[in-house]
Amino acid sequence: MNALQIEPTEFTPKVNFDPGNNFFEISGFSRPENVIGFFRPILKWLEGYSENLLSQNTDFNKKLLTLNFKMTYFNSASSKFLLDVLLEFMKFKSKGNEVEVNWYYEDGDEEIQESGEEMSDMLGYPFKFISYNP
Amino acid sequence: MVQQENILAHFGPLSYEEIGFLLNRMTAYVDKQGMTITIKKKVYSAMVESLENIYKHQDIISSSNEYQPKFSLLLNEKEFSLFISNSLLNTKVEPLKEKLDRVNSLNKEGLKELYKLTILSGDVSPKGGAGLGIINIAKVSENKISYKFETINNQYSYFTINVIISC
Repeated sequence: MNALQIEPTEFTPKVNFDPGNNFFEISGFSRPENVIGFFRPILKWLEGYSENLLSQNTDFNKKLLTLNFKMTYFNSASSKFLLDVLLEFMKFKSKGNEVEVNWYYEDGDEEIQESGEEMSDMLGYPFKFISYNP
Repeated sequence: MVQQENILAHFGPLSYEEIGFLLNRMTAYVDKQGMTITIKKKVYSAMVESLENIYKHQDIISSSNEYQPKFSLLLNEKEFSLFISNSLLNTKVEPLKEKLDRVNSLNKEGLKELYKLTILSGDVSPKGGAGLGIINIAKVSENKISYKFETINNQYSYFTINVIISC
């Protein structure tokens, strides 16, 4: 399955979904003028990936998927869609795949850190929180 | 006498790029003052949610010059103060009042719970709003949002909110 790679713009984040390496990352800034137009294709891609993933899973070999969020800012409309992305990964989890969610935040950025904690709480799923210095 | 500094002001319709321009000016100011990243992010969030709200609803602007969208950001000694105004249909006044009164009645934990309920149940409107903007503003503000509605005519009202963010 082809990777999904979207370069960042002034208003939208970078997306790097690399199924070959079981690595998925959304990073940067998210305040799209057309939030539905930006995120729908990403969710659509994940639906396709879901079928692809299930066809590859066997009883003894289920992939560990790494999902990274390295957001510097996202507006409330984007948060709804980031949660939708996470919900797709929770479906993979329910099919038996291990899912590791890493939530990066700039050292001292309580807003991004708390947003991640809230999402983790909403999903009832632990994230790994990683601070970094820009 | 309390010192007050006018940091930003905008009057009239907004483009998406202008929102970015106002945000950049605010971050440059906050960085220059050496304030924490948390304060910067709180003011940033409140500005984005309120300015995007103006942007999404500016198709219902009254032709009167008096009731154009308006935004200002002030810094008093210990707090940022945002004033945001725009016109809206009279039929939207009561639901908006109810929403504001609801967020004003909640503490931090209550707001988190309301945010969670809204994000998990709410659909995104065709304009991209997820019904989360006001809750998000209340969360970052940690102060009550004051508001007023002025009747323009039998169709429209002019709506102003004041958001305080303590430094």
